[in-house]
Amino acid sequence: MPREVEAVRPRPPVRWRAALALALAAGFGLVAMAWPLLAAPGGALTETTSGPWLFALLLPLVTASVLVQLADGGLDARAVAMLGVMSAVVAAVRPFGAGAAGVETVFFLIVLAGRVFGAGFGFLLGCTGLFASALLTGGVGPWMPYQMFAAAFVGLGAGLLPRTGGSRAGRAAELALLAAYGAVSSLAYGLLLNLSFWPFAITQGNLSYVPGGGVEENLSRLLAYTLATSLGWDVGRAATTVALVLLTGPLLLRVLRRAARRANWA
Amino acid sequence: MPPAAPSEAPRVLPRRAPVRAAVHPAAWWGWALLLATAAGRTANPWLLLLVAAVAGLVVTWCRGDEPWSGAYRVFLFIGLSAVAVRMAFYVVFGGSDGPTVLFTLPSVTLPDWAAGFRLGGAVTAEGALAAAYDGLRLATLLVCVGAANALASPRRLLRSVPAALYEVSVAVVVALSVAPQLVESVGRVRRARALRGNTGRSPANLMRTVVAPVLHDALDRSLALAAAMASRGYGRAAGVPAPARRATGASLLIGLLGLCAGAYALLGTATPAPLAWSLLAVGAAAAVFGIAFASKRVPHTRYRPDRFRALDWAVLASGAAATAGTVLSGVLEPAALWPATNPLGVPELPLWAAAGIVLAAAPALLAPSGPSPTPLPPKGTP
Repeated sequence: MPREVEAVRPRPPVRWRAALALALAAGFGLVAMAWPLLAAPGGALTETTSGPWLFALLLPLVTASVLVQLADGGLDARAVAMLGVMSAVVAAVRPFGAGAAGVETVFFLIVLAGRVFGAGFGFLLGCTGLFASALLTGGVGPWMPYQMFAAAFVGLGAGLLPRTGGSRAGRAAELALLAAYGAVSSLAYGLLLNLSFWPFAITQGNLSYVPGGGVEENLSRLLAYTLATSLGWDVGRAATTVALVLLTGPLLLRVLRRAARRANWA
Repeated sequence: MPPAAPSEAPRVLPRRAPVRAAVHPAAWWGWALLLATAAGRTANPWLLLLVAAVAGLVVTWCRGDEPWSGAYRVFLFIGLSAVAVRMAFYVVFGGSDGPTVLFTLPSVTLPDWAAGFRLGGAVTAEGALAAAYDGLRLATLLVCVGAANALASPRRLLRSVPAALYEVSVAVVVALSVAPQLVESVGRVRRARALRGNTGRSPANLMRTVVAPVLHDALDRSLALAAAMASRGYGRAAGVPAPARRATGASLLIGLLGLCAGAYALLGTATPAPLAWSLLAVGAAAAVFGIAFASKRVPHTRYRPDRFRALDWAVLASGAAATAGTVLSGVLEPAALWPATNPLGVPELPLWAAAGIVLAAAPALLAPSGPSPTPLPPKGTP
């Protein structure tokens, strides 16, 4: 199978301009989410209260720029149709996770699709999948840009994982690799989203963000906040993602690779 | 959204009667965000309740009869739970203090390695009030977003996506129309499976006999859809000359670079603040220019373009009145916008801000949803 896959290029191509735009957007996203930790005492951002609003407005602009750059010449009809159908699957399985705390049914799909279709497709799927599901459920809110952006980078990272062989051992190693990546990315996703929402959610007391407090002060407060609010959810998300990757991975990878071979990206 | 994804577009974009079209979804979002900005600039409970009431009034008068029209209520509950969470945090983790002790909880001081916080302790009326104001502010912001969700049609909003994002928005349109088909597909596969005498419920069996066929079906359908789109001329390399494409790419990359540099400069102390802000502004301008330029170059025509009309501007202006009123109050009577909770007292109502927020209820009179908001039946659907 791997030789065949090699021969027909199962992934939509990513141009160098798009790769550069992705790298820049990752840098911007890191600042937009982690600014409470990174802002130095006395810096321009700690003097004003408008920082978080500013980033919440600029993040969609950055996402749109990257999407324009990724779509420019890199998306043909097959990629668009595949993206639409996979986004529909993401939007359809997302409500299953909404009922129970910490059950996340989206990430394994984004991870597996990113692995099969490549980093650029994974990024797009993270964006469009969460966007479509927010539109279907009327859940468009200030958190959506952050969710889209973070999920996009989960898909991007899955596409960048190293290759494994096509032998029996190679397939097992691939599954283990994806499961481990799923766990790490779920935890990181939870922490980043906490970070983006933390300065809004709570403004006084022991757990709140201290403007200009420096990294040590704010990091310990953030960890305490995470422990008090969302660690259960984050661990639950990691566990369900690992379980779903291990359970459905062999089948889904086969199904997706078959579709990729049939689409035959040139 | 131009209807150029031929096989899918008619089903998911119900054409509306051009005469009595509702307010543009972008106008609703602008109105709600301006109202939210007004709410974000104050902690006065009267003003916040007024904002929530205005949003509720406009939603009840103007919403249509669509699946997403119930979003306001959901966001109201999310907002109430935000207030509750905020109060619980105050009781457990403490906050601002005052002289009026309501009750005292047993207190624990965590050891230093666990950040040395004190849990429990005295709960004061002043602190509880401050926490309640704070929670109410967050709840009001959420309620404004909920109003936008209930009022703005996401499908119509998708038609207003910049043309440069054409491919991505087509993918989202495809997703919105395929998601219901998936549910139908699951039902079909399960029926076929039952007819074959397979009613096993073990997960492995379900994976093999339901999940796999449904996924194969969906992916095969996507390839069929791609073939249909390609045969109707979608996805041929549009005639964008290479220099224009390079200019777009360069402008977008410069924009991203400026945004990154500006954001990093804002974090540190090495760069003076005006320089950092202007870097950020230049980056944002270059990115917006890049997207606008790319949209101009995309040679797709639009069927029935969705224009901004006078009514939409009026809705936006009424939202802007709320923000303007709060800004004016912030200059003239800042103490009333941020009422003190220590000592306890009944906050005053800032007049300018209140007047502005009442003006923001104008859409309820300007654009009420009629008794039967009859969109034309979608053409071309069986």
